[in-house]
Amino acid sequence: MGLRAYVVRRLLQLVVTFWAFFTLLFVLFRMMPGDPTSMFIMDGMTPEQREQRIAELGLDQPLYVQYVEYLQQLLTGDFGQSFIYNDPVIDIITVRFMNTIVLMGTALFFAYVIGITFGALMGWWRDSRFERGGIVVTLMARSSPEFWVGIVLLVVFVFWLGWFPSSGMRTTGGELGGGFVARYGSLDFLHHLFLPALTGAIVYLATPTLLMRSTMLDVLNADFIEIKKAEGLPERTVLYKHAARNSILPIVTVAAIATGAAMGGSVVIETVFNWPGMGREMVSAVNQNDYPLAMAAFFLMGSVVIIMNFVADLLYVYLDPRVEYE
Amino acid sequence: MTLLDINGLKTYYRADDGWVRATDDASLSIERGETVGLVGESGSGKTTLAKSIIRLLPDNAEIRDGSIEFEGTEVTDLSDRELRKQIRWSEISMIPQNAMNGFDPVYTVGEQIVEVVTYHENDTSKAEARERARDLFDDLGIDPDRVDDYPHQFSGGMAQRAMIALALSLSPSLVLADEPTTALDVVIQDRILDTIKEMQTEINSAMIMVTHDMSVVSETCDRIAVVYGGRIVEIADAETIITNPRHPYTLGLRNAFPDISDDDQELISIPGTPPDLVDPGEGCRFAPRCPFAREECWKATPETESYGNGHRVKCHRADEIDYLQEEAGKKSTWHDQELGRPSDDTAPIGGDQKAESEVELDD
Amino acid sequence: MSTERTSPVDAATATIGDGVSYVQTKLEVFEGDRLGQIGLVILAVFLFVGIFARPYTLELLDLTIPGLAPHDPTERAVGGRLEGPSADHPFGTTDMGRDVLSQLIAGTRVTLLVGSLAAFMAVFIGTNVGLISAYFGGWVDDTLMRITDVVYGVPFLPFAIVLVAILGSSLFNIILAIVLILWRSTARVIRSQVLSHKQRPYVESAQAIGAGHVRIMYRHILPNVLPLTFLYAAFAVAWAVIAEASLSFLGFGDPDMLSWGEMIYNVYTANAIREAWWWVFPPGIAIMLFVMAVFFIGRTLEKEVNPELQHQ
Repeated sequence: MGLRAYVVRRLLQLVVTFWAFFTLLFVLFRMMPGDPTSMFIMDGMTPEQREQRIAELGLDQPLYVQYVEYLQQLLTGDFGQSFIYNDPVIDIITVRFMNTIVLMGTALFFAYVIGITFGALMGWWRDSRFERGGIVVTLMARSSPEFWVGIVLLVVFVFWLGWFPSSGMRTTGGELGGGFVARYGSLDFLHHLFLPALTGAIVYLATPTLLMRSTMLDVLNADFIEIKKAEGLPERTVLYKHAARNSILPIVTVAAIATGAAMGGSVVIETVFNWPGMGREMVSAVNQNDYPLAMAAFFLMGSVVIIMNFVADLLYVYLDPRVEYE
Repeated sequence: MTLLDINGLKTYYRADDGWVRATDDASLSIERGETVGLVGESGSGKTTLAKSIIRLLPDNAEIRDGSIEFEGTEVTDLSDRELRKQIRWSEISMIPQNAMNGFDPVYTVGEQIVEVVTYHENDTSKAEARERARDLFDDLGIDPDRVDDYPHQFSGGMAQRAMIALALSLSPSLVLADEPTTALDVVIQDRILDTIKEMQTEINSAMIMVTHDMSVVSETCDRIAVVYGGRIVEIADAETIITNPRHPYTLGLRNAFPDISDDDQELISIPGTPPDLVDPGEGCRFAPRCPFAREECWKATPETESYGNGHRVKCHRADEIDYLQEEAGKKSTWHDQELGRPSDDTAPIGGDQKAESEVELDD
Repeated sequence: MSTERTSPVDAATATIGDGVSYVQTKLEVFEGDRLGQIGLVILAVFLFVGIFARPYTLELLDLTIPGLAPHDPTERAVGGRLEGPSADHPFGTTDMGRDVLSQLIAGTRVTLLVGSLAAFMAVFIGTNVGLISAYFGGWVDDTLMRITDVVYGVPFLPFAIVLVAILGSSLFNIILAIVLILWRSTARVIRSQVLSHKQRPYVESAQAIGAGHVRIMYRHILPNVLPLTFLYAAFAVAWAVIAEASLSFLGFGDPDMLSWGEMIYNVYTANAIREAWWWVFPPGIAIMLFVMAVFFIGRTLEKEVNPELQHQ
């Protein structure tokens, strides 16, 4: 089976996965025990208002009808109206989504660049003090919940040293308009971005570091590495062009899963630093029973994870010439 | 001038409880274009000896003593950089045991040949290197278009040929073949050995064939060196080693590879296990397993005895060749012996008449 | 061989002896592994603290075993409000005047509870799914793996938040939310292990002598993948503890069971984060230490599962 057929097959699986995910959301948000209507009826509504709302939201219809309507709405991007903001959810979500992507994307990028390099060096300099110290430091980072790293950085760099702003994406009163570059490229923005991104980077670099190191150790034992040395090639060529290149493959898969963890982590990091992203929005939406907003946020996060897993699958197959397209 | 002259080489490995003397005082010289076999069991030190030549040793190994002269240059004195640029692959290359594993799986075979050629030859362009790869493939019986294939796409025999192409791509003066046919089935083995010989003659490169398989060396080698316990216990031209060896270990090895056409031949193995090379002390290393060992064998390390025509043996009893050869052919000689050092009143097999009768009485 | 039957006492002693030597062989892996040993010690300390955190009263013996916590963690105004560390209160007090050290000690129980329960259940489910999926193959495998794929697509924390919001924030619901997601990695890993074991001769011979499916799966294959299960159980403990702490920090923790994460949540809501460093740091460090210990132990266990790693 060639590459094309494999991709098609995986795409079909992707559709199935998405459908299952949508259904899961539906079940989650509508079929849970307790009064399902209580989730999206606010307190302080008169009985008539309640009934009107119920009819509006179609909650009095039989479940399967609701389900079909639900799917239709999802596919057209209609997430309804937010209770707290009184605006279409889709408008609110898209902005927040971008903010989260920028934050977590930066964090993951640095986590992986640092992690891969650090891990490769640790594998190369096995049994050195550098390596042993590196392992302890890495495990310490991994053992810390995201919020903890964030709080420590907050207390040290914001409250004690005052080097960084404590919250938000930009100083109040700053430029809100302007294009993409103005929004995300300004110095003020970067100043605000630094600590939360650093938090994410610290928490997420443990996995690529340890994985890269252990894969390197395996690869460095391989026969072909000895041959490359026998060929007289310089150490740097053997390390990067051959050893590291072979060790990168599992990291690719892991990177995709990391996006999933990052979606979850964004919830926490954004709360600590008051970053106006999807994660923070989701938490406040849940707390205030703004179900359309909460569901939309959850939906988006899950979709990112599913798509990234899919991308990782394809990348892996593309990078490793030995893998057969079953 | 001799191509390679190894003298008194001692390569030891650092272990928790001391030094493992993998190669202990080995001497060997190789002329241009000749094929020398290094035969021995696993752990005999033959591979360490070969890899020491290009210093392809793990971090815990050290060349403690001895000299390795290659075309007049003392290799042990070269810096790492000089070794890499001047000697490795361009002068001395290697064919590993499992060819498929010798290639980096994520690059095509052609890319890897081009890589080593362009690194060593500054004047050769990538395109020229690629042409050379294709020509080599052609000479070795592989479809030249396959230079763009990945290593895992080759069958065992084909991969070995590709490996040979890589090893010969810089026309080295010496090739170290480490069990080149062990991983292949017998039919392919033969063809590969022929191919190796052909290419070798074409570029007039010498070869050190490291193996445990006597039948392989008997076919391909001009001279054979028998390695045991880190030492070269016997070395002579191939004919002599096969038909007229003097060292008990060589005699034992011969027994383990019988002639397929001889129905009556028994397969006689050498009992016991290879020696522990951590500070082994004085004495012949084969004594624990040798049916002909005497008291002096345990006490004194045998000196090298010469028997003309470059036939050298390290054995105290090398003179008694007729007796040794006859006894070694009997299964009972090997399997009835009590392994281990004899006490003073019991004499081992052989020796003079008086000792023989003593043994009978004690039984 | 004597024809006497072994007495029950002998049989019991023999089983205990077997159990002890089994544990001993397992513990051998920790030989010479400094990090693993440190992990064990730290874990043992936490275990001890957790068990003896609060006093026990044994009615029958009219005995009270005193708790380790110097004060009742929930009692207000045992000290002044938001006081720094002092002799009476080594870790200071909260905004309600509660003793931080006592809260820290009591919180150990929640950690241990969540960690062990969630990990056990997640790994139990995961191992079974992986085993069944790999052994039967075919549509069973396809279905189970598709389900696993979907679960992999669900982001951990958001899902837990939603579930707890719907069902209520009791410790049980938190554990449920964790388990529902955590089983996925064990399932995949066990499945791939079992797939490779399926090909091995011992399975063939078991089938040849007519052993049933259940027997082969649980009496033959399972013992071989058990080391991997233990390894993933260790990691599951770590993830579960971090998950619970994060949930509590966001305000979804069980209000009746004070966990370390919840302590930090309290600092936040009391707006005391700037000054009350004595209140903020201990629970966070406790979480970090506990999870680190578990990871150290996990690394050591990994060596048994993967013998090639022993040179590390």
